[in-house]
Amino acid sequence: MEYSVRYTPFFMLACVLIVSLVVGLMSRRQDKGGYGLQVRSIGHANIGAAIASNWMSAASFLGIAGVFFLNGYFAFAYILGWTGGYVLLLVLMGSQIRRFGKYTAPDFVGARYDSSVARVISAVIAIIISLIYCVAQYKGIGLVFAWMFGIEYTQALIFGILVTLAYLIIAGALKAARNPQMHYLVLILSFVIPLMMIAKKLGYNWLLPQFSYGNALRDLPEQVSSAYLFPWTFGSPYEWIALCFTLMVGTAGLPHVLSRFYTVPNTRDARWGVVWGIFFIGLLYWSAPAFGAFARNWMERSGVAFDPVEAQAIADIIVIKTAEWVGVNELLVSVLAVGGILAAISTITGLLVTAAGAVSYDIYYRLINPNANERHLLLVAKGATLILALIVLVIAVNPPGLIAQITAVAFALAGNTLFPVFLLGIWWDRANKYGAIAGMLVGITITFAPILFGHIFPLLRTVLPPTSSALIGAPLVILTMIIVSRLTPPPPEHLRRFLVEKVHSP
Amino acid sequence: MPHRNLQNPENMEDLRINFFRPRAGFMRKEVTIIWLTLAAWGVMTFGMPIHLAFTHNDPARTLSEVPYIFGIPAYFWYSGQFLILWFIFLCFFFNILIDWLGSSYRRRR
Repeated sequence: MEYSVRYTPFFMLACVLIVSLVVGLMSRRQDKGGYGLQVRSIGHANIGAAIASNWMSAASFLGIAGVFFLNGYFAFAYILGWTGGYVLLLVLMGSQIRRFGKYTAPDFVGARYDSSVARVISAVIAIIISLIYCVAQYKGIGLVFAWMFGIEYTQALIFGILVTLAYLIIAGALKAARNPQMHYLVLILSFVIPLMMIAKKLGYNWLLPQFSYGNALRDLPEQVSSAYLFPWTFGSPYEWIALCFTLMVGTAGLPHVLSRFYTVPNTRDARWGVVWGIFFIGLLYWSAPAFGAFARNWMERSGVAFDPVEAQAIADIIVIKTAEWVGVNELLVSVLAVGGILAAISTITGLLVTAAGAVSYDIYYRLINPNANERHLLLVAKGATLILALIVLVIAVNPPGLIAQITAVAFALAGNTLFPVFLLGIWWDRANKYGAIAGMLVGITITFAPILFGHIFPLLRTVLPPTSSALIGAPLVILTMIIVSRLTPPPPEHLRRFLVEKVHSP
Repeated sequence: MPHRNLQNPENMEDLRINFFRPRAGFMRKEVTIIWLTLAAWGVMTFGMPIHLAFTHNDPARTLSEVPYIFGIPAYFWYSGQFLILWFIFLCFFFNILIDWLGSSYRRRR
């Protein structure tokens, strides 16, 4: 470990955060003209960029390259899961959920199943998903800050949490609006341009590094190269398929992905936005494995031995390490580091706000104190944000896996609980609150059983890997919901009528 | 057509919604489109790993036998890059069909 402060990325990060606040202030002023009107005039590509910027977290920016660096072909399960999930979302429930007209997952569950118990369970699930997702983001922030300041991971993590909370408070106090299109543009450029320079330095086609990384892989010694190219070196077919499927249903059930469908004026625009959204997300995912491939290529050239333990430790910042190793301009290395932090911070602020909202509104207001006024609720939300951040800190001090793996657990939870509840809620009028409650409880059990009891029953982890439990879990939960719903009275008529007349009419 | 049925008091009771037994008219056509897209999504995504699982167990043989494209094994390029394009195409195709279906039904109404 080198213990020296890297000033360039530090100053760049400070500048970018300040600029983003200023831009946020300016776009707030422009917004006064009317939000809906403005969106309609800017088209589907902009909606797609908003979807992509909402999506791109540290898992996409830092995590995928790390998984590819370690596991080659296996990383494609992440890439395909996180793009193919949008197809599932669009095809199965995009329009219908939009026509249902509820903005958050607990709101939808509460309204569709007409039950405050189901609502509270789904709120708790949404909060846990946010927490797990945040842990992964903070691992990224901690690693990058540790690299930036030459300090230990734990110190860097605490510093990172303070920075994000400060940013959240300042942005909240200034009521700064986020400009998602600009955010996406900054992120994708700060990912692809350094990658092009890395390819150039190593002597590969730099215009399309997405294609030339194949050559970088083939140029490795045969044994190494075939390990990367052969599909089953780092995981069995079952593991690959289970992971890919889990991430897909998780994407379709993730609360913050769903709520994107409501910031758009109409269903049709939302649907077309998804096409662009996958394209914009794809730009990042086409490029991410190239970092891993070029990193490995550089290691072989420079005679650096591949130590599995050390590789595991640096995999999550391999994007930055590659640029530094290869020796591209320091500014570009900094751009990558700042991009990773930005992706993480924006995801965290979104998730913490969602989770705090669920605590204050869905749990506190609905369950504990229905007489609370707005100021009171805001106070609860602020307190919840702090407590949630503390919980995240405690878990993130000892991160249980790679960024992408931690994130995948959040997807497994969403796929095992919210996905079935949304799916049957829309496509089966007979699904009732008893089914939903039983289904979500079974889903939570399936998600966490292998994590909590995996060391006692190793078979549990083989059949239900924590990152990939939804291949078996989601169908099981759907079955549970069907059986329990059939055994209990049907939902009230007004709900079923609403489904027919509103949700399923053209 | 479902929305006409709703105005007819005799049929008021039929509020069934089931993906596997879609209501006649709009929903039946919509579900057909969904099945088509889902099939194209599932077969293309999971067909390749299933095919590879059954045919390729030996790295050395696999890498010397499979076809190559852009300098890498074709299945590698297919999973890492082509499928994302395929997803974009599927969403595009789905939207075109749903737009057409929606507008034809709104016109009839």
